[in-house]
Amino acid sequence: MTAARFDELIHPSTRLSLVALLAAADWADFAFLRDELSLSDSALSKQLSTLEDAGYVDIERPVRDRRRRVRARLTPTGALAFDGHVAALRSIVENGERGPHRAA
Amino acid sequence: MEAHVTPDQARLALDTVERGRLRVIDEIGLPRWYWWGLALGWIALGVITDLKHPWATAAATFAFGAVHASVAARAASGQRRTQRLSVRAELVGRDTARIVVGIVAALGCLTVGLALAAHADGARNPVTIASVFIATIILLGRPQLIAAVRRRAARTSGR
Repeated sequence: MTAARFDELIHPSTRLSLVALLAAADWADFAFLRDELSLSDSALSKQLSTLEDAGYVDIERPVRDRRRRVRARLTPTGALAFDGHVAALRSIVENGERGPHRAA
Repeated sequence: MEAHVTPDQARLALDTVERGRLRVIDEIGLPRWYWWGLALGWIALGVITDLKHPWATAAATFAFGAVHASVAARAASGQRRTQRLSVRAELVGRDTARIVVGIVAALGCLTVGLALAAHADGARNPVTIASVFIATIILLGRPQLIAAVRRRAARTSGR
């Protein structure tokens, strides 16, 4: 079982949605992520760069049908951080009803 | 670093996570060309069988089985319906491939049954008639089949 660990980098709503999509996929195309999250190209690039800098996401640029695509995939570090964050959120919900919670 | 997160906020965040998981599960499926290939191959096999050349029927059945086996191994995992993403194998499970192979086997039996009934009724091309009927079922029934696989994945793959 993954240890609960609240992750400040993942928690913001847009980034959480992004990582949740990537956590369920081996990889996802840039256009798919952009459409699902209703983000502009530059906004999504910025979010992916933040996650890439943290070592949570790998960006690949395979060439297919002579077109360069951009794909993102969660790294093992990112997957571990996401699992820990989800465990922390569950812990907060389970321990809830006692007012605001401080999660480390 | 610490964060102040209320249970309600945590619940909302978990809802976001669940929506992401379900959205990816919506992408489970088989490429359209797989279904059309299966349906057209089925009809072709029926037509060849009605030609009443045992060697041709045997060769066509062998070829159909071999091609389907090699294609299904890659296509029927359900992970790559489109080129937009690949669904995690743990999320799909082995159900998609098993269900597809099981349905192909069941449809094979149904084709034989329908062909025998059509032959008993005096039809000139009983296997062709039966295979066209089954090909129609394949094409019309694919949304229901994939919906069932997705529902199962949503139920069984929760973190």
